[in-house]
Amino acid sequence: MSEFLEDPSLLTKDKLKSALLAHNVALPNGDQKKDVYVQLYLKNLTAQNKKSSGSPDVFSSDEELPPAPVVSNRSRSGRKATRKTDKVRPEDVDVTELSNEALKDLLLKYGLITGPIVASTRKVYEKRLQKLLDQGPPETVAPPSEMSQTDGSQNGNTDSDHYSDKEEETVAPAPVFVPEPEPEVEAELIPVVERPIRSRGKTPVTSRTRSGQHNRVEKVSAIDQTPRTVERDVLKEIFPNENLSTPTGISATCRRPIRGAAGRPVVSDTWLDESRLRLKELRETSSSSTYTETRSVPRVTAVPLTASKPAAPPAVKTRARRSLPVWVQLLLLSAVAGFLFFVYQAMETNEVGLFKQSGADDSTSK
Amino acid sequence: MSSTSQKHKDFVAEPMGEKTVMALAGIGEVLGKRLEEKGFDKAYVVLGQFLVLKKDEELFREWLKDTCGANTKQQGDCYSCLREWCDSFL
Repeated sequence: MSEFLEDPSLLTKDKLKSALLAHNVALPNGDQKKDVYVQLYLKNLTAQNKKSSGSPDVFSSDEELPPAPVVSNRSRSGRKATRKTDKVRPEDVDVTELSNEALKDLLLKYGLITGPIVASTRKVYEKRLQKLLDQGPPETVAPPSEMSQTDGSQNGNTDSDHYSDKEEETVAPAPVFVPEPEPEVEAELIPVVERPIRSRGKTPVTSRTRSGQHNRVEKVSAIDQTPRTVERDVLKEIFPNENLSTPTGISATCRRPIRGAAGRPVVSDTWLDESRLRLKELRETSSSSTYTETRSVPRVTAVPLTASKPAAPPAVKTRARRSLPVWVQLLLLSAVAGFLFFVYQAMETNEVGLFKQSGADDSTSK
Repeated sequence: MSSTSQKHKDFVAEPMGEKTVMALAGIGEVLGKRLEEKGFDKAYVVLGQFLVLKKDEELFREWLKDTCGANTKQQGDCYSCLREWCDSFL
């Protein structure tokens, strides 16, 4: 690259001299006028320019449309004394003097498609063109990129500022969230799906539901935010309804209530067994119709009744683990209760009966 | 949530109508006054300039800087405000 300035007259005489010497140009003796050096400079540099790029003479034109290679003269190394202003342009590449159309054409050569160049936009385009001219001829210039601002700041030190406003467009969190709620969704889906699809194996399902339900309790709020579509897709993946024979694809299966949550007593299966045992005991002891027993019976029967009620409705969806289906147990219970009541009725009414009228009807002791 | 100011949100929420140029994000009193002196007294005039520059960011920023001396942040705010407004209403 030949080192030269577009406007050597901006340089000091000394600099011109040194530049000329650097290029092995014979300086005239004595102290000449600056213009002499300027001319020498230009002449030599023009020559160099010709050598390097083969471009035509810089001076050749005051035309409005200088040939493109002319612009090659614009490469600069010594930026110190140059252009704070755009006005001083000895060459034809005086952007301010170009017509709107010429300006547009030049910018087009740089690959910049401009909008209308009107009064208000002209200045901006002039600046843009100037910047582009600084970069060199249009052939060597890539599509206009961020360059130094044309207010005279020689090198773009504010480039980073130009890029700064793109930050708000980052929507990074959205895809990140999708994998996160998915395990949660899966865990939540499992108990939800357990209800319709419960023909599966016992222990894995129940254990899954347990953990899932716990998760559900804890993470309901988080789950609510997850997109429903994700839920459904995961749902379909995890629980395809291939095993079901019912027309709706839904089979009534057990959903265990969450032990220890929502105020429910923390019980296990053993409690249910105990209740069953108790029922058997009651049946056995029902024949001995003592007052205390009968008194205690309703209480005891009430307790298992009420206690088994929360267990019963969810337990209606049969779990094959039970020896008897729950409804059978309930039936037995009611039968036993009815039997006991009948016995009570049949007893001697020494004391005030519970139901005076019915006691009078049924009592056969008299 | 994007890091836009309340002014930005207010501007892009509705058609600008006859709002002054100071309603633009990034344009305060000082800059607004300068713009008005140059003849850009309403927000829609600045919008016009924005559109004539084909909504090009660099050109608009440069223009803004030349016209009222906005700094980089102000340029960016104004540009994104107008761009978003155009996305919604234009």
